Amino acid sequence: MTADKNYYTMDTQGNLKCLKCGVPLVKGKAKFMYLDNGFPVELPVCPICGFVYVPEELALGKVLSVEKALEDK
Amino acid sequence: MTIKERSTKIYRTKTMFSEEELIEKERVCIHEELPYCSAACPLKLDVRTLVGQIAAGDFTAALAVYTKITPLPHILSQGCEAPCQKYCKLYDIGEGIRITALERTATQMGEINKGSGMLRMKKKKTAAIFGEGLFAAFFVGEMARKMYPVTVYSKYDNMYDMLKAAAPFADEEGIAEDAAVIAHTNIIFVHAEALTSEFFEQERHHYDLIGVSPSFLQILGGEVDETVMLWHAETVISAPIEQQDVIENAFNARKAALTADRLAQRLAPENSRGEEGCKETRLYTNLNGIAASASLPCGIDGRYTRENAISEAKRCIQCHCDECVRGCVYLQHYKKYPKKLTREIYNNANIIMGDHMMNKPINSCSLCRQCTVTCPNGYNMADICLIARQNMVTTGKMPLAPHEFALMDMEFSNTDAFLCRKQAGYTHCRYVFFPGCQTSAIAPDTVYKAYADLTKRLTGGVALLLGCCGAIAKWAGRELMYAETVRMLNEHFAILGHPVIIAGCPMCADMLSKHSHEQVIGIWDILAEIGFPEGAKGLDYPVAMHDSCGARGNIHMQETMRLIAEKLGCVLIDTEYSGDYSPCCGYGGLVMYANREVAHEMAKMCAERSDTPYITYCMACRDRLARENKESRHLLELIYNENAGVPPDISEKRYNRIQLKERLLREVWKELVEPVEYGFKVIFTPETRRMMEDRMILRTDVMQTLQYMRETKEAILEEKTGLLVTRHREGNVTFWVKYEQKDDVYVVHCAYSHRMNIVTR
Repeated sequence: MTADKNYYTMDTQGNLKCLKCGVPLVKGKAKFMYLDNGFPVELPVCPICGFVYVPEELALGKVLSVEKALEDK
Repeated sequence: MTIKERSTKIYRTKTMFSEEELIEKERVCIHEELPYCSAACPLKLDVRTLVGQIAAGDFTAALAVYTKITPLPHILSQGCEAPCQKYCKLYDIGEGIRITALERTATQMGEINKGSGMLRMKKKKTAAIFGEGLFAAFFVGEMARKMYPVTVYSKYDNMYDMLKAAAPFADEEGIAEDAAVIAHTNIIFVHAEALTSEFFEQERHHYDLIGVSPSFLQILGGEVDETVMLWHAETVISAPIEQQDVIENAFNARKAALTADRLAQRLAPENSRGEEGCKETRLYTNLNGIAASASLPCGIDGRYTRENAISEAKRCIQCHCDECVRGCVYLQHYKKYPKKLTREIYNNANIIMGDHMMNKPINSCSLCRQCTVTCPNGYNMADICLIARQNMVTTGKMPLAPHEFALMDMEFSNTDAFLCRKQAGYTHCRYVFFPGCQTSAIAPDTVYKAYADLTKRLTGGVALLLGCCGAIAKWAGRELMYAETVRMLNEHFAILGHPVIIAGCPMCADMLSKHSHEQVIGIWDILAEIGFPEGAKGLDYPVAMHDSCGARGNIHMQETMRLIAEKLGCVLIDTEYSGDYSPCCGYGGLVMYANREVAHEMAKMCAERSDTPYITYCMACRDRLARENKESRHLLELIYNENAGVPPDISEKRYNRIQLKERLLREVWKELVEPVEYGFKVIFTPETRRMMEDRMILRTDVMQTLQYMRETKEAILEEKTGLLVTRHREGNVTFWVKYEQKDDVYVVHCAYSHRMNIVTR
């Protein structure tokens, strides 16, 4: 696996703002961890506090299907 | 409490039980046993499929099934003594299927595959067959079909003449067709008017395999070993003296051909022959609901018309044993019978890396043990699934996702909602009322009234214990957690002075009687003895009784419940699969958490057994049936004149337990209870509630997420919608809440969760 490989990329579409820091979220590097497996992704992240936003469609879609696949490993 | 999640990087396996035990368990399942007809046939004709194909109108497919057992289908079908027919199960209630007439019709109407087969290679070893007669004819057919180059030494110059002389009972068209098929193969006829031993000795050395007719064997003075059809001293294949039965000749020829195969490969002919000949079958066929019928008459040629053959074939009940599958949604869902399922589950436990495809099926059994009573041999699929779950837990292969909600709910019952109190004024109590977690969660007012009634009418003191018996941990395969729960409960029973446990739930009664140190009775036993309180009233319309799986094997409990229902004035309707045969509502074995689809099918099946409303004696059953929009009432609701109403959602189930505990502490033990306050108000719209129920998100999960947001100020503003989004990780789950805020009031628009943890990198 190369260092830059991303399993999922999502743009902020200029729609999201961190309430705590008052700045727009930017596309940032994040990692999903489950059952000792890591999946690098790019998601909207607050550049100051690092809040990573996981939208509903992602949580109930791809994330859920990967969870289920890993649970049977 | 947080339960530690597993890792996929641990590669431990442990076999569930030994290979011998597996075989022993599999043997109990008779689904694969031969039907009576096939078992009686020495050639083991697949009668079910043959008749099934005819019933479907496909005579060519039926003939293909028939030709698997013989190279001479016309001759065999016209001369076969049909042992299969005598054993047809339909004779138990009426007339059996005319199998030979169907075979003859199939051979006449079906189209035979005359091709020698593109991929069938001519064998290198050569064979010679000396003599004539039925055995020799069948043996020639068998050898030719196996693609041996065969030379036949007889007084006939072709196959047709040989068959015609051997089978005078068969019609000319049939003989011609059988001969034509064999003529396609590598067969040479050498005319030999009278065979002699000298001629035999002279010719035999040209060939690798030698076969002789039984009458020529006598001339040669040979003696054949009937198990392998071999004259060992001379390595000559033959048969005992010519049999009268056509089927016997066909069978002997088949055995002889197998011996030829093994000799050709220089293998001992006695070994690896499989099961030959007729065999005993252990099959069970349920004839309930099958009407007796008579065979259709066939023509003088022993054949049917096309229409009559189809009608006769449709009478076949396709004997097989699916007693367990019929009553079990789980087995129906996975379309597997216990033997197959057991093997796959067993293999699943041995997988070190890769996908464990049986994890979900293992967690989808309700462990209700219905199969143990529906199976004629008592197959226990529940035990297999439970052992598999325990195995998965001990080897670190059990995912937490299917059971975590239920385990946390048990934890909630035994901590926040737990209550253990002696009756006021008593230092030792003779009894302790143990209503069960689901009874308190679904019908708290009924529990309240029941406890008040027991303390009023029983002497010696009645303590109360609100908690979970540990069934949830047991079902999840978590033995350590179960043992800890049992230890904790036993400790409390000891503090109460070892009282007699009055269980309010059949499952609790079952679990506690097995694992607590105390005597266990049911509240139903008490009420049947002391009578009902004032206001007890049955339903005014006929009702069906849904029995709990906790009462399986406990006829006393099942009968007591019916007695109580009748005493209350209920008119009970009998249903299929009631009493000991009752199916699970979908709560048992934690199916409703691990596989909602199967749980829904289970509840639906329970609900559909009767058009009438149901009464139950397990609150989980009442709840599951009500969720299927089936009117259902628990016996205790009728006894205490209560109606728990529409089923509570997952949050209300927790709220009910807390409220019951607080009410009891306040009103019975006069203790001051401080309710948990969050300091802010949250509004859940009906759609949000439904969404949360569907996603198994509790209102307390949302409250804690918002509480965390208030402490950290961490939230995202969705500028397009103006909604705020926040999250909080609680144990192994991250909860997300989408909301709008008006001062200290939060209106929740959406909640979702995921188990993966997200971090920045």
